[in-house]
Amino acid sequence: MDSGAGESSAADEYESLMSTTDAELLKSAWRNEKAAPEILKFDADLVQRSRQQIQLMEEMVDEFNKNGVDPLTVSLYQMDLDRTMFLLRSYLRTRLQKIEKYVFHVEKTVELWNRLSKQEQKFARRCAGDLKHHLEQSALSKLPDQYQSHLRQSAASEDDDMIPEPQLDIYVVCRSKRYLGAFQLDDGGEEPVNIEADDLYALPYKSIKPLVESGQIDLV
Amino acid sequence: MYARKASELVKEFASSEPGQLSTFNNDLFAQVLEECEGHLLHLQPLMRKIQEHENKLKDKRRSEDEVEISEDERRKSEAEKVILQTALKSDQFGALVHHLSLVRNKRCLMAYIYNRAEVIRSLGWMVDSVLPAEIEEKLSSTEKEYFKNHVATLQSYMSELDLHLTVDMVPPKDPYIKVRVLDDIGEVALSDQVANLARHAIMFLRRTDAEQYITQGGQKQRMLRFQYSLDI
Repeated sequence: MDSGAGESSAADEYESLMSTTDAELLKSAWRNEKAAPEILKFDADLVQRSRQQIQLMEEMVDEFNKNGVDPLTVSLYQMDLDRTMFLLRSYLRTRLQKIEKYVFHVEKTVELWNRLSKQEQKFARRCAGDLKHHLEQSALSKLPDQYQSHLRQSAASEDDDMIPEPQLDIYVVCRSKRYLGAFQLDDGGEEPVNIEADDLYALPYKSIKPLVESGQIDLV
Repeated sequence: MYARKASELVKEFASSEPGQLSTFNNDLFAQVLEECEGHLLHLQPLMRKIQEHENKLKDKRRSEDEVEISEDERRKSEAEKVILQTALKSDQFGALVHHLSLVRNKRCLMAYIYNRAEVIRSLGWMVDSVLPAEIEEKLSSTEKEYFKNHVATLQSYMSELDLHLTVDMVPPKDPYIKVRVLDDIGEVALSDQVANLARHAIMFLRRTDAEQYITQGGQKQRMLRFQYSLDI
C-alpha cells in the first residue's frame, strides 16, 4: 500500500514519506489516543481513508486467492490487513471506552463534545441516558428530593460538583519528531525543558496538551 | 457513627478483585438508604427551627430599631438575642452534620453503583449481549437492565459504522492461531478451507474465523479455546 514510497532516492525523504502514510498516521493517532487521559479530536478523514484501504486490501487478497498466487505472499498481505484492521478497531474502541468512562463530563464540555464524530455523539448521548436512568433507578429516586441530581451532590451545590473527570496532570511519555527548543512547563518555577528530536520525555499531560493537539509531539 | 455503613459499601467494592464483581449488596445498600431517610427526618425540623429563630431575631432587631427603649429593657433584649443566637447556631450545626452525612452517603452510594457500572460496561466488551449465569446472578435488577441497554447502545453504534468492534481484542501476531475444539461443531466452511471441527481436535485456523466461535462463548458453552488459553 505504500510501495510507491520505496522508489525515492534520498533515505530521509523516504523516511518522511513513510511517516505520512495513512498506516503510520493511524498508528500514531491510535498511540496518542491510548496514552492521553482525555479524548482527542476524531480524525474523520483518516478513518475514512483507512476503511477504504482496508476494503481495497480485502479485495486484493481475495483476488490473489482466486488467481493462485503464492500462499506466503497472500499470508503476508493478510497479516498487514489484519494489523490495519486491529489498529482501526482498537482506535475506535479506545475512544468509546473513554466516552463511556467520562460520559457526563464529555457531554457537558462543549470543547470535548465537538471532538467526537457524529456516531460517537449519538453513542455518548444514549450512553449518558442509560447511565442516568440506571443511577436514578438504583439510588437517586430513593433519596430525598434535594439530593436527587446525578450531577450535583445536593441542591445546595452551586455547580455540578459530582462529575468524574479525567486526570489531566498525570505524566505521559512522549517523543517529538523535530527539535522544539526550550519548552516552558506551565506549573512555573521550573527550568524550561529542551525538547530534542527523537528523545523520550516524561512530562505532565496538561502542559504538553497544545503540542499533542497540534501534532508536534507524539505520545508513546 | 454516621455514614459508616456507606463507607463499608465502598470498601467492599474497593477490596474486590479489580474487574470482577461481587454480589450486589442489597441489604447494606438498603440500610444506607434508610440512614439517608433518617437524616432527612432530623434535618427537616432543624431547618424549620432555624427559620423560626431567624425570623424571631429579625423581629427583635426591627422592634429595637423602631421604638425607643430603656437601658434595662435593652439589656434584657440583648440577653434574649444571645440565647436565640446560640440556639440558632446549635441548630445550624446540627443541620450541617446531617446534611454532610447525607451528601457523604449519597456519594458513597453513587460511587458504589458507578464503579460497578464501569465493570458491567467492560463486560459488554467481552461477551456478546448475554451474560453468563454466574455473573448475572451477582447483579441487581437495575444493573441487568443497564447492561442490556448499554449493549444495545454499543450495538447500534457498531451497526451504524458497519464495523464489528468486539473482535480483535489482542493485537494480531500471526494470521493463524492454534485452537482446541471444545464441542463437536462438525464440517464448517471457513474462509480458506473446509474444516472438520471435531471435539478435542487441535488445529490452526484463521484468526478471523476462529474468533467468532470463541466469542460465542457467552451464549452457550465456549466452542473453541485458544490453546494458550488467552481467552476470558
